[in-house]
Amino acid sequence: MRRALAIACVFALSSNPAFAYLKFGVTIGGRQVTLKWAQTPVRYFVSNTSVPGVSTDGFLAAVGRAFNSWQAVSTASISYQLGGITNALPERDDGLSTLGFLNRPELDRVLASTSYLIDASTGALIESDIFFNSAFPWSVAPAGEPGRFDVESIALHEIGHLNGLGHSALGETELREGGGRRVISSEAIMFPIAFAAGSIAGRTLKADDTAGISDLYPAAGFAQASGTVSGRVTKDGVGVFGAHVVAFDPATGAMVGNFSLNGQGQFSIGGLSPGPRVLRVEPIDDADVESFFDPSQVDLDFRVLFFDRVVVVPRGGDSGQVELRVVRK
Amino acid sequence: MRGVARACLVAALCACHASPARAQSSASSDGRIEIAVGASWVGPLSFGSRDANETTSTLAQLPLFSASTRLAGAPSVEGRIGWRLSSTLMVEGDASYGRPELQVTVTNDVEAGLTSSSVTAAERIEQFTVGGSVVWYAPVRQSSRFAPFLTAGGGYLRQLHETATFVQTGRYYQFGGGLAFPLTSRPVGRLKSVGVRIDARGLVRVDGVAFDSNARIAPAAGGSLFVRF
Repeated sequence: MRRALAIACVFALSSNPAFAYLKFGVTIGGRQVTLKWAQTPVRYFVSNTSVPGVSTDGFLAAVGRAFNSWQAVSTASISYQLGGITNALPERDDGLSTLGFLNRPELDRVLASTSYLIDASTGALIESDIFFNSAFPWSVAPAGEPGRFDVESIALHEIGHLNGLGHSALGETELREGGGRRVISSEAIMFPIAFAAGSIAGRTLKADDTAGISDLYPAAGFAQASGTVSGRVTKDGVGVFGAHVVAFDPATGAMVGNFSLNGQGQFSIGGLSPGPRVLRVEPIDDADVESFFDPSQVDLDFRVLFFDRVVVVPRGGDSGQVELRVVRK
Repeated sequence: MRGVARACLVAALCACHASPARAQSSASSDGRIEIAVGASWVGPLSFGSRDANETTSTLAQLPLFSASTRLAGAPSVEGRIGWRLSSTLMVEGDASYGRPELQVTVTNDVEAGLTSSSVTAAERIEQFTVGGSVVWYAPVRQSSRFAPFLTAGGGYLRQLHETATFVQTGRYYQFGGGLAFPLTSRPVGRLKSVGVRIDARGLVRVDGVAFDSNARIAPAAGGSLFVRF
C-alpha cells in the first residue's frame, strides 16, 4: 500500500526561514516514524531532458557532484547509486527516484521541489523525485554564470530533502521591494531560500547539514561519538512553540540549530561533537511563519537570549535538560 | 587522612614556637622528606575568539556575533611530597585541585542588542593535576634565613566539565622560583623542621579544555606550609 506524501519541499526564490535541520516524520498507525530510506545506496535516475545552458550530461554531472557531497560526510552512512538516464519525468509515482527539469511557469517563486512516495505500512521512503523548474535560467558552469541559477547548489539542497531532511533557519534575509525576501547570508544548505542567480555559494555543506544527515543516517560509532543538547524554551513559565535555538561551538564557530516544537517548548539538537556550546534562542520574527507553523501557536514576542551557562555536549549522551527563559520584547 | 591531619597540627604547633633560623642549611636542607600543603592562584588563560559566521552569496563571511573564550583565574589547593637528593637538589611529586570557570563572552550580536555590551556564558570546571618537579636550592650565606630556589616540572591535567559528563585531559609544564624559610628548625622527634614556601611560576598548559593543542602560559603564585622529616 502506497501513498504520496502531501508535502513537497520547495527551494524558493523568496520565502521564509523554516524548520531547522528537522527530520521529517510521518504518522503510521498512530505512531510517528522518521522519514528516511530503509536501504542504501539510494538509486536515482536522471531525466533525459535539457534546458538552455544545461545539457543532459552537464545536469547529470552537476547532480552527481551534489550527491557526492552528501555521500562524503564521513559521519553519515548514506550512499547513492546512479541508475542511469531515463525518459521518465520527476513527480510521477513510478517507483523511480528521478531528477529532471519540468516547465512550471506558474510556480514563479519555486526553483525546485522534492516529492516523496512512502510505504504507508512502514513509513519507509520508496521514491523521491526532484524537479527543477525550467522556467528559470540554469547553469552548470564551474564558476557559475551571472543571471543563472547553479544546478549543483540547488541539487545539493533538494537532495537534502530527498534524504529526509527539512529546512534549516540558519540564515538572514531582508525584505525586497515588491514582496518576498532576499538572502543576505546563510549557514546551512537546507536554508529554504536560494542565493541570487549567479552565486555558487550553495555548493558546500555546512555544520548544520552534516549534523542533520549524520543524525538521520549515522555512520558506525557516530551515536556513541556525538551528543545532544536538549531542553525547553519558556516565557513566564510557559513553553514557547517555534523558538529557533542555535548551538554555537566556541571552538570551531560552527552553528547547528533547531526549533522548540511543542507546547512545552521542548527542543533537541542532535549530531553534535562533544564539547561546550553557547545556546542562542530567537523568535522567527523576520519572516512569515504561516507557511510552516500555525501562527496561532507560534510565539514571536520575546527577545533574543543567550543562555548564561555554557552547555556541555557529552559523548554519546544528552546535555541534560536546560531551560531557556526568554522575556517579552 | 588522619595522619595528614596530625602532621598539619604538629606543624601549626611548631610554628607557634618558632625560633630564629640558624643558617642556610636549616632553610633548605634539614630533613630528607618534605611534605607540604598550600594554595595557589592560577591566572587566566585565553582560548581566543571565534565569529559565528554565515556565508554570503559571494562566499564572504558575515558574522552574526563574536565569542571569546577563556579559563578564568582561580585558586587551587595543592599538596606536595619531596625527596631530597642532596643539599641543593630535591625532587617533588605534586597534586592540585581547582574549580576555574570556563567563560564565553559574546559581543556584537545586533539582534540581541549587544553592539556595545556583552553577555557571558560560563560553566565551572573541576580541574585536577598530578605531576612532578625538580627543585634546586641556590647556595646562600650561612646567616641567611631564606633559601631561594628554582623549580621546573610538569604533569597530567584532567578537566571535568560542570555536568560531570565530559572529561578533557592535557598536560602542563611549570617553571619558576621562590623562597623557603623555616618557622622552626628545632627537631621534634622525627620532625626536622617546619617552614613556609612561597613561589611564582609560569604554568604552561597544553590541551585540556583548550580548543587546540597550542601551549598557553598563565602566571601562578602560591604559598605552602611544609614539614621536613
